[in-house]
Amino acid sequence: MSNAIQVTGLWKRYGRNPVLKGIDFHIASGETFALLGVNGAGKTTALECIEGLKAYDSGTIMVNGKMGIQLQSSSLPAHIKPMEAVRLFSKWNKAAINRSMLDALGIQEIEKKQYMQLSTGQKRRLHLALALIGNPDIIFLDEPTAGLDVEGKLSLHSLIRQLKAQGKTIVLASHDMAEVETLCDNIAILNDGNITFYGTAAELSDKIGKKYSVQIKTQQNVETVVTDDIGNTLLSLLTTLKEKGTKVLDIKVDQGTLEQHFMEIVRRPVK
Amino acid sequence: MSTFLYGVALQWKLDMRSKSLLITCYVVPFIFFLLMGGIFISIMPEMESTLIPSMIVMGVSMGSFLGLPSTLIETYASNIKKVYKANGVPLYLGLATMFLSAFTHQMIMCAIMVVLAPIIFDAALPTSLPLFILALAIYIAVSLSIGCILGLAVKNQAKLTMIAQLVFLPSIMLSGIMFPIDLLPDTFELIGEFFPASWGYRLMLNNGFQFDHLWYLLLVLFTAAIVCTLLLNRHKCK
Repeated sequence: MSNAIQVTGLWKRYGRNPVLKGIDFHIASGETFALLGVNGAGKTTALECIEGLKAYDSGTIMVNGKMGIQLQSSSLPAHIKPMEAVRLFSKWNKAAINRSMLDALGIQEIEKKQYMQLSTGQKRRLHLALALIGNPDIIFLDEPTAGLDVEGKLSLHSLIRQLKAQGKTIVLASHDMAEVETLCDNIAILNDGNITFYGTAAELSDKIGKKYSVQIKTQQNVETVVTDDIGNTLLSLLTTLKEKGTKVLDIKVDQGTLEQHFMEIVRRPVK
Repeated sequence: MSTFLYGVALQWKLDMRSKSLLITCYVVPFIFFLLMGGIFISIMPEMESTLIPSMIVMGVSMGSFLGLPSTLIETYASNIKKVYKANGVPLYLGLATMFLSAFTHQMIMCAIMVVLAPIIFDAALPTSLPLFILALAIYIAVSLSIGCILGLAVKNQAKLTMIAQLVFLPSIMLSGIMFPIDLLPDTFELIGEFFPASWGYRLMLNNGFQFDHLWYLLLVLFTAAIVCTLLLNRHKCK
């Protein structure tokens, strides 16, 4: 599979402060990729360098395909109506208006409102529609579900899956780990200007070490134990309880979440 | 071309929906026109021949220095610029469409004043209407070009409000529209000469369309075009 994006040795400084310290990563064509990091880690800067919105100091960025971009902080003139923006952007991109895409995003439902009257979710949907106007091969979504309600999130996730099914490459920056885990093939974690992890969510889990949380509810209390060795821990706990004659009411076993693994990675000092 | 025209037509619509444009381009200039026109004519009846250019200088200055720059700031000092850039809409589009839309609104506002002034104040119409319209178009373009510099150079509305007044007030006070410029101290008269309002006012007077009154306006227009190009490039690189 060819790469849609290849970033090599990317450096970006704001004044004397390096924000990206020679990062390398690639995104294969057709994959859904997430760039993760705590606030201020440099995610938006990295994406804006790739998108061509920001100049960088050194390194190379190769982009293989047409880009559609939904920015983290997007805005439009206060009095513009959604369909006017769609027409303006489609004219400049010399692209036909895709009615089914607009229907899927519910743009026609809000066409009579002015931009300033739209809710956060409606604005996000409009900006996504604008990003998709030129039928791009690579779609950048920076915090696409921030501020959306559950229904809005689910409908956006469904749209992202449809885009992936059409062979689009999707680059996501998000704080929502459940979203990333559900949608993405690969993730990269940006920490202090460096990529500290690149791979799948399963590989991240392996790297951190599988931690299980075992919760045992008895008549007397609820006890939680965190362990790497689920088999022996369970056996030992149950044996102890049996010897004491304690009646077990419930047992829950949770594997660590991507969120826990992510926090583990970002807390580690960068080598 | 049709894409560009769509942009201009859309900007015209957006301006019509904006209350700030309605106020700076129509409401306040017309209130000033009705109020000051009445006062001027009653205390200085000889002003009937200069009333139309005077009121136009006031209206155009207000729309150009207080109206257009705030619309430009809405686009160029915000994330709208980024959205345009990210989605293949050229950065000059906003400037060009806002300029043309504001130009059209100002021409309409001036046309209404030219029609109403003789009816309400018995003001004299320009002796040569074609030359007057040409002078008016040049003066509006020059004023708007300065408004474009303000809108592209200033980064927020609060600063713009202060800086725009530094251009607007001397344009009104020192251009000779309120009282004859000869009554001003020499220093103020000299300062007034820096502002296009003085030159535009003289250009619009009867028999005023002469190169002596025109060259400075053309120089300002040319310089402003270069400055706007540089400012747009700066916005592009940011």
